[in-house]
Amino acid sequence: MKPLKSLKIVSIHIFIYAGALLTVAPFLWMVLTSLKGLGEILAYPPTFLPETFHFGNYVEAFRTASFGRYYLNTFIVAVSCTLGQLMTCSMAAFAFARLRFWGRDALFLLFLGTMMIPGQVTMIPTFIILYWLGWIDTYWALVVPGLASAFGTFLLRQFFLTIPRELEDAAYIDGCSRFGVLWRIILPLSRPALATLAIFIFMYFFNDFLWPLIVVNSEEMRTVQLGLAVFRDRYLTQWDLLMAGSVTATLPILLVFFVAQKYFIKGITLSGLKD
Amino acid sequence: MQSGIPPTKMDTSKQRNRRQKIRFYRREGMSAIFFLSPTMLVFSVFILFPVLFSFYLSFHSWNMFSSERTFVGLENYHHMITNPEFWQVLKNTAIYTFATVPLSIALALAVAFFLNKKIIGKKLLRTAYFTPVIVSAVAAAVIWRWIYDPSFGLLNYALGLIGIAPINWINDATAAMAALIIMGVWKSLGFNMVLYLAGLQGIPEHYYEAADIDGAGGWLKFWRITVPLLGPTTFFITVMSVITSFQVFDIVYVLTHGGPMGATKVLVFYLYEHAFKFFNMGYASAAAYVLFAIIFIFTLLQIRYGRSKVHYTV
Amino acid sequence: MKRTVVLMMMLLLLWQSACQKGEQDRGSRTTVVFWHSFVSSTIPAFNKLLQRFEDEHPDIHIKAQYIPSGDALIQKLITAIQSNTAPDISWIHADYLEDLVTADAIYKMDAFIQGENGLSEEEMSDIYPSLKQLSSWRGTLYSLPMEATNLGLLYNKDHFRQAKLDPEKPPATWQELKDYALKLTLDKDEDGTFDQLGFFVPIYPASGPLNGWMVWQWFPYLWQAGGHVINPEQTRVLYNEPPGVKALTLWRDIYKALNLKTFTTDYDIAFAAGRVSMAMDGPWNLPRFNKMLKNMDWAIAPLPQGPEMKATVAGGEYLAIFKQTEVPDAAWTFVKWVIQPEIQAFWSIESGYLPIRSKVLEIPAYVTYLDENPNLKTYVLQLEHSKAPRPFDYYNMENTRAMAQAIEKATLGDVDPKAALDEAAVKINKLLKTVERN
Repeated sequence: MKPLKSLKIVSIHIFIYAGALLTVAPFLWMVLTSLKGLGEILAYPPTFLPETFHFGNYVEAFRTASFGRYYLNTFIVAVSCTLGQLMTCSMAAFAFARLRFWGRDALFLLFLGTMMIPGQVTMIPTFIILYWLGWIDTYWALVVPGLASAFGTFLLRQFFLTIPRELEDAAYIDGCSRFGVLWRIILPLSRPALATLAIFIFMYFFNDFLWPLIVVNSEEMRTVQLGLAVFRDRYLTQWDLLMAGSVTATLPILLVFFVAQKYFIKGITLSGLKD
Repeated sequence: MQSGIPPTKMDTSKQRNRRQKIRFYRREGMSAIFFLSPTMLVFSVFILFPVLFSFYLSFHSWNMFSSERTFVGLENYHHMITNPEFWQVLKNTAIYTFATVPLSIALALAVAFFLNKKIIGKKLLRTAYFTPVIVSAVAAAVIWRWIYDPSFGLLNYALGLIGIAPINWINDATAAMAALIIMGVWKSLGFNMVLYLAGLQGIPEHYYEAADIDGAGGWLKFWRITVPLLGPTTFFITVMSVITSFQVFDIVYVLTHGGPMGATKVLVFYLYEHAFKFFNMGYASAAAYVLFAIIFIFTLLQIRYGRSKVHYTV
Repeated sequence: MKRTVVLMMMLLLLWQSACQKGEQDRGSRTTVVFWHSFVSSTIPAFNKLLQRFEDEHPDIHIKAQYIPSGDALIQKLITAIQSNTAPDISWIHADYLEDLVTADAIYKMDAFIQGENGLSEEEMSDIYPSLKQLSSWRGTLYSLPMEATNLGLLYNKDHFRQAKLDPEKPPATWQELKDYALKLTLDKDEDGTFDQLGFFVPIYPASGPLNGWMVWQWFPYLWQAGGHVINPEQTRVLYNEPPGVKALTLWRDIYKALNLKTFTTDYDIAFAAGRVSMAMDGPWNLPRFNKMLKNMDWAIAPLPQGPEMKATVAGGEYLAIFKQTEVPDAAWTFVKWVIQPEIQAFWSIESGYLPIRSKVLEIPAYVTYLDENPNLKTYVLQLEHSKAPRPFDYYNMENTRAMAQAIEKATLGDVDPKAALDEAAVKINKLLKTVERN
């Protein structure tokens, strides 16, 4: 190997590792803080590693509320929304990327446009509709509005556009239906995009605070993020407990991401096209 | 391959059977209804209707508690554009957006590009870069507040170690905006990186091989192959980043509270306080539509710009 | 494909089981839904209170639902009212009392007080007047206080000793406050920034959620200087007159002298870390500090006296009964029960909040408890000169914002206190002129 090339490789590694360290530092700090006693949290200059590992914060945080139940609710909602949205978004994205129909571009712009209105002003009408449907304080209220999204449709459409048509044409000639083409050809080819979208949707619903806050009243329906709010009053923040709670709320998704990486990175994308 | 909203004409492959094609296209309208109906059902009830309703509200005065809504015409819009605070807020939002979006996209592309190469510990690195996306906005803002804190903060301590004088991240107008931007880039970098990584998977290896044969260098390949072929991804990322940056709220709400003296007050924060502090949903809705108009114009510009770029067909 | 189907089935099962759990535990008792925002450290005490109520009223079940305080509570109330799903009782805040009343969402308290199971005039007059002012809008009572709070001076006795000040003699006047603040401010490592701060002046962004908290803490200084928030007719604000200017100048002087701009705003944490010697604080923090500050010699003192008088600011949590309720009588039973002297004493001991009426101070057990808990006692003794920044019936939120801006500009910024207050007053007076009064 030429020395110049190995120098380049080393510098790339340094750049990428330094960046990663900077990026992950706040989260690491959060984890370390959550393991410190309050006295140590307040020390200045700050200590890096906890003097003694203080798991009491976790115990205390979990004792304060029924987090087990909150996790169950959150998983139910996040998984339902993820599956539902993958379905609706890939169908809609297929229509926008592959079909020609009257008003397509205008409809697509309308989709994009709705994302530009902040949720803070649409919250109340949405709530009232759910009330009419009798869904307040149920899973329906948490899940159904999340079954479609302009974001997901937009994302998948952009990816579908990058898939060459040759494969589909062949399938059509073989007598495949449009749904068949979507299911058997486009979706398998879009695995990285679908996996990416899946983690985004899952994460969004896992971390959502405002919407569950509005539609949930009873203790049994609460989600993890609502549970964490109890540590953060208007006037005071219980740092130690909030940190411990936030770390436990972050770890599941981090784990999902770590494990699911292969799906959206090492996709079998376009391998059929290499000639 | 096209970036942006594609011209409706599809590529015409000559080998294709013409007659079959005509028959097929005729049924596209019906198919479209089938493919769009699940989304449209949910979309029109839970997204479109509330959006249109808030448009209606923007011409009214409504405190949200009562059932009474008074029609006020364009008064909300008029008040807004004659209010100097609104223009200040708009300026703050623009500063935040135009600093965060390019920084985040450029860094994300660089990181994704390198992570797509032979790097030791890829899995761990990807997870590291993605972590900020996963941490909920509130938890993230809480930890950053702690990091930025002038008395206890890690950041000033770390800066002190390398000989930089403490920066007043919370109480100095410029520094507070910088603090927001740093956090904004931090939070969105991993999101854009993942999208770029997925986009990079879609670039067939043979393009690079062909370039190698022509003797093209690394930079040239990056600019001539990677960047153009990532067109649709970049378009998506730019549109989404502009939308989310113009709508930045959570981190402002928890990190700076819009201070000091309004220096980090952004548009959604502004409309939020009009809605839930002064209980004027009509005015808040009007502000939302001004925001909409601004983002919409930007998106149209991006579509135009995206279209004029060279398209590569596979 | 197969995996997806299996996943869907599992999900359905989960939905089923999760839904059923929620349906249990509904007896034949009347259920009263109660929205509150008690912080996690108060929840155990609150649960004891509810237990005691249900023991005494076996036919009523209080379904307490925690709502994060501040904006979350407002948003929940708005959507609930719009959709007819309001709770039976809720905590409310004086800031949006006006909106609740004009939307016809809550009962006048007289509807219950004058009723069969009502309260006598004697009982009503026993409640501290400032708390009644805070529960009223345009002279009509729309809620009742559940507990009282006020503002005292939290101070670190060790710091006093180190500075050769008498730890049993906290500052009693403005002059002393200023002198002590300077004496207690130290740059221990001589690096040019203060490591220990004599007195924390609570400055928060006027645009943020803590602006009301900042203004609330400034009111006592306005009154101590002999000032008023607004004239009795509520046509003109008065805080830009000389007393107000004096009060803001005091804050500004200390803020600038101590260079508070470069200091944290998390005063409670800073106090616990031994980096703040004096700060204002309220009784709700007592349970937490008792636990957190075990290794520190600290105490609560009354707020220092101003040039004109002693004063602190009154606050509390107020219970309103919503018109959408189907069980107004059961709801009232709870509200009436919770303000009984014995219950107030019980609640104060358990939670650290202050009682809302003076009769409680005649209960021997409570008096003994206070003697054992001098910090709580200090707060309780201040109830007498707790004042309410009310009535302020119109544009209250706008006024809070304007005052917060003035305070921020004069301390964090470099605007002259008089000019800053004038600007706020002009703005609010203009709004007050537009009010239609009848």
